[in-house]
Amino acid sequence: MLTLLVFLPLVGALLCLLVPSSNRALLRMVALGTSVVVAAMGVVLFARFDGASAEAQYVASAAWFTLPGAGAIPIRMLLGVDGLSILMAALTAVLMPIVILSSWGHIGERVKEFLVWMLVMETGMLGVFLALDLVLFYFFWEVSLVPLYFIVGIWGGEKRLYATVKFFLYTLAGSLVMLVGVIWLVYAAGTADIAALTARASALPSETQGLLFGAFALAFAIKVPLLPFHTWLADAHTEAPTSGSVVLAGVLLKMGTYGLLRFGIGMFPTAAVAWAPLFMGLGAVGIVYGALLAMAQNDVKRLIACSSVSHLGYVVLGMFALTQVGLRGSVIQMVNHGLSTGLLFLLIGMIYERRHTRAIDQFGGIAQSMPVFAFFFVFAVLSSVALPGLNGFVGEYMILLGTFQASPFWASIGVLGVILGAVYLLSATRRLIFGPIVHAANAKLADLNAREIGLCVPVVVLCVWIGVAPNLFLGKLDGSIDALAERLDDARVAAAEAQADEVAAR
Amino acid sequence: MNPYELDFDALLTPGAWIALAPLLSIVVGILLLLVAEVVDALRPLRGVFFLGSLVVAAACELRVVGGPDALVSEGGSVLAGTLLADGASAAWGLVFITGTALAWAFSHGFYGGSEARYKDEHDVLMLTCPLGMMLMASAQDLIVFFLGLEVLSIPLYVLCAFQRSRSTSVEAGLKYFLLGAFASALFVYGAALLYAATGSVSLAELSTTFVADDASPLALAGVGLLAASLLFKMSVFPFHLWVPDVYQGSPTPVTALMAAGTKGAAIAFLLNASFLMPSGTAELLCVIGLVTMGVGYLGALVQEDTKRMLAYSGIASAGTIVLVVAGVLKSGAELEGARTAALYYMGAYVFAITGAFGVISALERDDGRFTKLESLAGLARSRPGAAAALSLFVLSLGGIPATGGFLGKWFVFAVLVRSGFAAFAVIGVLFSVIAIAFYLRIIVTMWMRPADEAGPVSEKASLPAVVATAVCVVGVLATGLAPALFLR
Repeated sequence: MLTLLVFLPLVGALLCLLVPSSNRALLRMVALGTSVVVAAMGVVLFARFDGASAEAQYVASAAWFTLPGAGAIPIRMLLGVDGLSILMAALTAVLMPIVILSSWGHIGERVKEFLVWMLVMETGMLGVFLALDLVLFYFFWEVSLVPLYFIVGIWGGEKRLYATVKFFLYTLAGSLVMLVGVIWLVYAAGTADIAALTARASALPSETQGLLFGAFALAFAIKVPLLPFHTWLADAHTEAPTSGSVVLAGVLLKMGTYGLLRFGIGMFPTAAVAWAPLFMGLGAVGIVYGALLAMAQNDVKRLIACSSVSHLGYVVLGMFALTQVGLRGSVIQMVNHGLSTGLLFLLIGMIYERRHTRAIDQFGGIAQSMPVFAFFFVFAVLSSVALPGLNGFVGEYMILLGTFQASPFWASIGVLGVILGAVYLLSATRRLIFGPIVHAANAKLADLNAREIGLCVPVVVLCVWIGVAPNLFLGKLDGSIDALAERLDDARVAAAEAQADEVAAR
Repeated sequence: MNPYELDFDALLTPGAWIALAPLLSIVVGILLLLVAEVVDALRPLRGVFFLGSLVVAAACELRVVGGPDALVSEGGSVLAGTLLADGASAAWGLVFITGTALAWAFSHGFYGGSEARYKDEHDVLMLTCPLGMMLMASAQDLIVFFLGLEVLSIPLYVLCAFQRSRSTSVEAGLKYFLLGAFASALFVYGAALLYAATGSVSLAELSTTFVADDASPLALAGVGLLAASLLFKMSVFPFHLWVPDVYQGSPTPVTALMAAGTKGAAIAFLLNASFLMPSGTAELLCVIGLVTMGVGYLGALVQEDTKRMLAYSGIASAGTIVLVVAGVLKSGAELEGARTAALYYMGAYVFAITGAFGVISALERDDGRFTKLESLAGLARSRPGAAAALSLFVLSLGGIPATGGFLGKWFVFAVLVRSGFAAFAVIGVLFSVIAIAFYLRIIVTMWMRPADEAGPVSEKASLPAVVATAVCVVGVLATGLAPALFLR
């Protein structure tokens, strides 16, 4: 089932290649149809997934090749889903039809290429989340870079070339350092199977673990992006076409946080415990810094991009609190950010298609001309600022609670970010949506059509669902997070013992 | 035994015939081409002769890869231990055969005017090249290697200068000839010094008697000269200066042949002869490799001519592959893994670089406009197939997954990491970020910039070129996605 899930988009991409590029309707149907089928499979997978178990489920394995040289380490096409990846995989599958459908409004040129790249990217992203072989993971990790490079570079805004090359080089530089880490780890442990590696890596000497953790964490931190590696994100988000921004915010950035969770923390618990204060600090500073950046923006898309930096700061903060609640909160917050920020980018795309500007001061009062749009926008903003009853609240609350257990100081900085978040998002909303209509062009804007409403509704439903009944989603994490927390406890005990030995030796 | 008294029965064992079969079939192909030049009735068959001899040679090489009993019983080397005939040497042969066949396909319709009249001679010269490469890659004797080196180099000198109407081509031929002759001389001088010091030019013999770490200064001077000559052929720093001019000036299909083939043949021998180098040179080679990568990638970054850019990227690839040798010197035991890594890297490289030069040659017109980077602008619209193929090739050169270049890079750096050179590996992979920066320039130009005023021509490429491009695409993807096919 997982093999089909991962490679079906690729099949769809190949089908699209066969359709003549003049036949746009058919192309769009093929792409949309593929992604809808994948989404349905993702939902079924989610529903059937047993959250109580820490084991990988629906494992599909096939021989791929054997590494040359000593040891003859087999590399397998090993796919499987566990508590760390189920939400990410399901989110990817569900967001993609929305993304593809949204592109009908703003991608009018080179439709075929666009859809092909989107579907290839879907395969890459699902592969990243579902790969259980380290080499396969790295393979998908880099493959998923290429489509976005083309999507931003061909269909992006004015400074697209600068943005896309910067994006590619930044993330590639991080990935390549990770590549050396991957090679080292695979040969040191004699296997590329992630489950076996997770068991064996914690036995490595702590200096080695530290170096490897550094190599992996750098790649993921750039992808997240964690301060100080965030500068590529604002450019890439601003210049990307709407659908590109949605994928970037919704899924691609999650590859970074997911990587930190599975590889950074999961594989090198000792190193993670040692480095946790640094990452919590970077996360918390990122929250505040991102929020301050967002306040200063007049381009609403750039504003949301900066808010992404802030929101992902929460994810990292909660994750490196290394507490049960914090870890759970950070995973659910990854989904939340994908949904609410994705929705915001969609909505901004819709008004950009109408006005061809994103400057906040060009708008104002559009609640009068576009009431439906205003409803969705306000909803997305409220979800983003964590209104109780919506998804954001669940995530941020758990993260702050988990962080407080580990470090009250960083938790209080995080709380500051919550306030700042409300400030910049709500004031942007006021300037965009409410007040009198200043510019005549805004008076006769057409409200959302059926397709656009259809894009927003599923996201809204999910936001409410997570907000009201989070346990359906959190329950899927139990087995894996418990196992992870157990490894972390072992690492802490071992570290404490080592310290005690050192003291005794003196 | 008196070495001048040859006992042919003892030399030409059953294994020797198996090992020589690929070489002989190419020789037969060369002879047939020469005959076809004068016998008009045979002229239409020239293509058949060219490709046919290569196909037969490839089949013979595959037989060697299978490891027939006759060869195994003779210990993998034949002709009194002067020629290797094992899986690795046969695999190198396959790489060279593939490269030659592809380069030849791209040469169809490339030459115009007076040069087209001499296409027969061009083909004969081109078919001679793999002969030299195969001899070099399987030589177990310095003299045999030198024979191979000259059999490869002399036709290449001529081929570089083949476009006599274009002054840059003549310049390329002359430069390559002068510097190449110098490198050949270095090799002979080095071999002579080594012989003077040890009394042998046979690698098989030296590998048992020669201990590089406490060799005499005379022998080490010889080894140094040999290494310099090989590094020159591979275009490794500081012997890389000829490459940009020669690659840019030569006819593009010849550049394609040269880029992959010469490098592969030299690295194959360098690995076979790596025991001659003292283990203390491992770090030195590592630094040389990294500097070469730096020079190549940084040089490529500022080029405005696609061929020249690819020439610099070729220098960088040579630097990458030298790292493998450094790994072997450091750890010793990793020779098999290093061979596989080098083979895989070059195997994937031959598809990507030949394909890249090939696509350019297929676009190139007599005025050479298409070698300029900006003339590729808008290619994605006028020739989407060519643009997609070229993008795939440069992504492979940049080592992005799903292409063979990724796994090649992986294997090379794996050798380095396992030899304890992880820090060098980090520097090496970071250089490939620079590489991607200029490969992306090519892609950006093709896909994301509008066409220039004249616009790329949309005349159809010749059929052989299209087929060869398709083969390269399949090759790049197959080496990237199904490595099990090639790893044996």
